[in-house]
Amino acid sequence: MAIGPFDESARERLSAMADGEIDGVEPASLCAGWAADEAARRDWHTWHLIGDVLRSEDLASDPRRDRELCVAIRTRLQQEPVVLAPSRGLAGHRGRWAVGGAIAAGMVLFVGTFTVIHPTNDASPVVAQADRGPVAVAPAPLPGTVPAGEEPVVADMRMIRDAQLDRYLAAHKQFAGTSALGVPSAFLRGATLDTASR
Amino acid sequence: MTAAAADADAVLVERAKTGDRTAFEMLVVKYQRRIERLIGRMVRDVDLVPDIAQETFIRAYRALPQFRGESAFYTWLYRIAVNTAKKTLMEMKRDPIVTEAARIGRDEDEDQARPDVEPSDAATPDAVLASKQIAAAVNFAVEALSEELRQAITLREIEGLSYEEIAALMNCPIGTVRSRIFRAREAIAARLRPLLDTREGDRW
Repeated sequence: MAIGPFDESARERLSAMADGEIDGVEPASLCAGWAADEAARRDWHTWHLIGDVLRSEDLASDPRRDRELCVAIRTRLQQEPVVLAPSRGLAGHRGRWAVGGAIAAGMVLFVGTFTVIHPTNDASPVVAQADRGPVAVAPAPLPGTVPAGEEPVVADMRMIRDAQLDRYLAAHKQFAGTSALGVPSAFLRGATLDTASR
Repeated sequence: MTAAAADADAVLVERAKTGDRTAFEMLVVKYQRRIERLIGRMVRDVDLVPDIAQETFIRAYRALPQFRGESAFYTWLYRIAVNTAKKTLMEMKRDPIVTEAARIGRDEDEDQARPDVEPSDAATPDAVLASKQIAAAVNFAVEALSEELRQAITLREIEGLSYEEIAALMNCPIGTVRSRIFRAREAIAARLRPLLDTREGDRW
């Protein structure tokens, strides 16, 4: 997503977003712009401080305190798995899937600590989780760049690809998460996959 | 909280639920002062407030998939803050190290100030003065606005009306409301900036 300079027009739209008065595709680009532009982040804080103080003067606070708390929370959020709300198409799924990193359609998992149970004849591997160690997630090649049916390249680590997981991730691909600074977090923690034995 | 105020969060909450951590951070900036004030009323030691506030927001982030919008986002966040503060207080009661430190503090020379009653950053006279200056600057800046900018920002921030409602009241297009609120914020922020100026190296 292209992030243009955060000019006055963008700041006015950001101000409208502070009031929830923006819709369509704008929120995504405004959030990305906020993450990339320090003056926008400073203004966002000042505007909300103004609103708080107008409503209650005891909310006038030292901006350094506010900033320290924000930075501390940002650091912790970067260590959190990105939590996703499932799309309506997967209404049957319950519970929470914790998946970190940039998610693209047809994502491939590089698994360092999982054990792959021997694939069955229909080439749908069943995965058992050996331990809950961290897993690196690499974005897949963009759709259309890998001919259909071509096997992904296997590097040193074992690779698993599961039809159920692919369908789930495809349904969630529009929910790609990035870190606060727009840098994809390539760290997956604690992903679990329960599949029925085939 | 008015319906308009509750709806104001819907855009960012929906973005945050799709995995956009930036959107959640923006909500943190919006609510951090209110949450810290709430926690400060519940715990005696103000030095605990930032840690409990941090914990509150992280717990809220983790629980976002369960937030269905049945209450306002701030109401939901408020409950998490209360529970987090209570949990922290309970854990402190059970912690023998904390209890021991408190006991030792009481046994020491009565002339010495006990560490647990020294003013924290939030409560020092300088901090109180700085807060008063910020409040005064905001009020002064609002008074200095033109009538239409003052009316727009007041209807939005104090009365909590939506742009549509303000447009009806002020008999102008919604785009004009949006522009007036933005210009009011810019004008007030310009007066505040000297008081809020960051030091070299401070970054948002």
